[in-house]
Amino acid sequence: MVRTNHNRQNTVFSLLVIGFTIILAVFIFSAVGMVILRGLPGLSREILSPEIWSSIKLSLVTSLISTGCCVLYAVPVAYTLSHYSFRGKKMIGTLLSIPLALPPLVSGVALLLLFGTTSWGQALAAHGIKFVFTPLGIILAQFFVNVPYMVKISRTTFDSIDARLEFIARTLGSTRLQAFVSVTIPLSFHGFAAGALITWARALGEFGAVLMLVGATRGKTDILPISLYLNMSTGDLDMALTSATILIIISVVSLFVFEWLGENGASSNKNRI
Amino acid sequence: MLQLKGISKKLGDFRLKSIILDVQENEYFIILGPTGTGKTVILELIAGMYKPDQGEIYYNKQRIDHLPPEQRKVGFVYQDYALFPHLSVKDNIMYGLRSRKIAKREAKTRFDEITANLKIGHLLGRVPATLSGGEQQRIAIARALITRPDILLLDEPLSALDPNTRGLFQQELRRLHEDMGTTTVHITHDFSEALALGDRIAVMQDGGIVQVGPAIDVFRQPKSLFVAGFVGAVNIFSGFCDNQKISIAPGLEIAAVCKKKGETSISIRPEDILISRETFISSARNSLEGEITEMICQGPLYRITLDCGVLLQSLVSFQSVAEMDLKKGDRVWATFKTTAVNVFY
Repeated sequence: MVRTNHNRQNTVFSLLVIGFTIILAVFIFSAVGMVILRGLPGLSREILSPEIWSSIKLSLVTSLISTGCCVLYAVPVAYTLSHYSFRGKKMIGTLLSIPLALPPLVSGVALLLLFGTTSWGQALAAHGIKFVFTPLGIILAQFFVNVPYMVKISRTTFDSIDARLEFIARTLGSTRLQAFVSVTIPLSFHGFAAGALITWARALGEFGAVLMLVGATRGKTDILPISLYLNMSTGDLDMALTSATILIIISVVSLFVFEWLGENGASSNKNRI
Repeated sequence: MLQLKGISKKLGDFRLKSIILDVQENEYFIILGPTGTGKTVILELIAGMYKPDQGEIYYNKQRIDHLPPEQRKVGFVYQDYALFPHLSVKDNIMYGLRSRKIAKREAKTRFDEITANLKIGHLLGRVPATLSGGEQQRIAIARALITRPDILLLDEPLSALDPNTRGLFQQELRRLHEDMGTTTVHITHDFSEALALGDRIAVMQDGGIVQVGPAIDVFRQPKSLFVAGFVGAVNIFSGFCDNQKISIAPGLEIAAVCKKKGETSISIRPEDILISRETFISSARNSLEGEITEMICQGPLYRITLDCGVLLQSLVSFQSVAEMDLKKGDRVWATFKTTAVNVFY
């Protein structure tokens, strides 16, 4: 009698948790699917319109450059945090993650204040390095918001590599730099690739910080998310859905590739001695 | 040649205490101790992974403890080999020659020599993940030796191998050392390994070195109860020592070479104890009568336990047991010399 009761309880519990999972999956899938369903028919037509086309180009150029900067900058920082020990390291690690916790809008305001109102920002602008209301600002905003991600992913990658391998390389005659280049970099490749990809996908979709720093000017700073915003506010739903669909496709594909890289990286780590 | 002068190092909870070592040229030196006593840290200090908190390291009278690892000319082999997982066997071995920019022809000669010596020619195209433990071990040793290091550092090189491979590899290490004469510091927790390979042994306890000496001396004359236990000593007794006699039980005195007066401990090697049916006159000063309480066959030897007031273990050959027709419960005599009694100070 008691046993039957238990069985029923267990079944109810299983159904409940599985039910939650199914509902969430259906919810997300239908929301995303709806945009694709509505956006796809217009996609082939609108994608060639000068407006969308220039948005795509601007988005690709700025996101690729900002991703490159993120990788170049994050790798040495992550290496420092992973391999060196010094006072205040934990503090610096936390400090570097602040942009992760900030609402992107606030990041944008912070950048606007730093580069728009300080004498330092004005000095840069006087030398032709203008961030406010320019495409360069888009890159800066994307970099600021995303570089902590790249640092985090690279650091996890470095942490997962046996530090003794570099040490062995050094007993065999390599300097720190040579050991880093010949041992650590090749072993981190999967991690870097995955990190760069997810950074790039996030850069493509970055909106809040970009909006604050460079505004929403048609033909000048209208990357895909800004274009989507402008089209929505003028009621041009077709154009808006086109931008949204492109963003969704890029995000979903990146996500799958990221997962794939993660799995491959993990399995090659498993083989590691 | 390699000298550690009062090396101390604190790493987390662990402390290495004022280590003094003097390793001779071409010597096979063993550091023996239980797991967690800091043996690996000594090797890493010699190789330059850490700087010592205190003390100095000299090689040929030249101070090296401030040099980066790449300028120290040591070869390092970790317990789990630490091969470069992204490189083929060949590239692993060649790594040191490339980073030291050894000329092509010289590199080729050395490479052929070491691969032939370690019999690893058939593995060159493979990657480390596909190799067995023994194979990886050979590659790691080849990778270290090809750079012709002044000192070869081996961190528990045999402990990850299965028993059969371990025996073979032990001989291989001995042969390599005879062939190449590289000064070697090898750490292990296995005393039989230390005895088989080491010219000299240093025994570690709690981050410090407690005894250094030729392997056989450490084995026969452990200086403390800890070392005695670690080298597998049995027949360890405590008692009061006076006038070259130690009373280890009421009415039971053992004659020994012992100058001090007071509490002490002794150990007697079981193979130094002679078993006989009758007592006999000899130069041996100790003769105890007792009853056989246990007989365990260990291949060609019997380990016999006698109760003579204390429990005494002796090793007797299979033939002797048969000839004397020894059985459990028999009363026999145990005879040993004063010099067979090792006194701890």
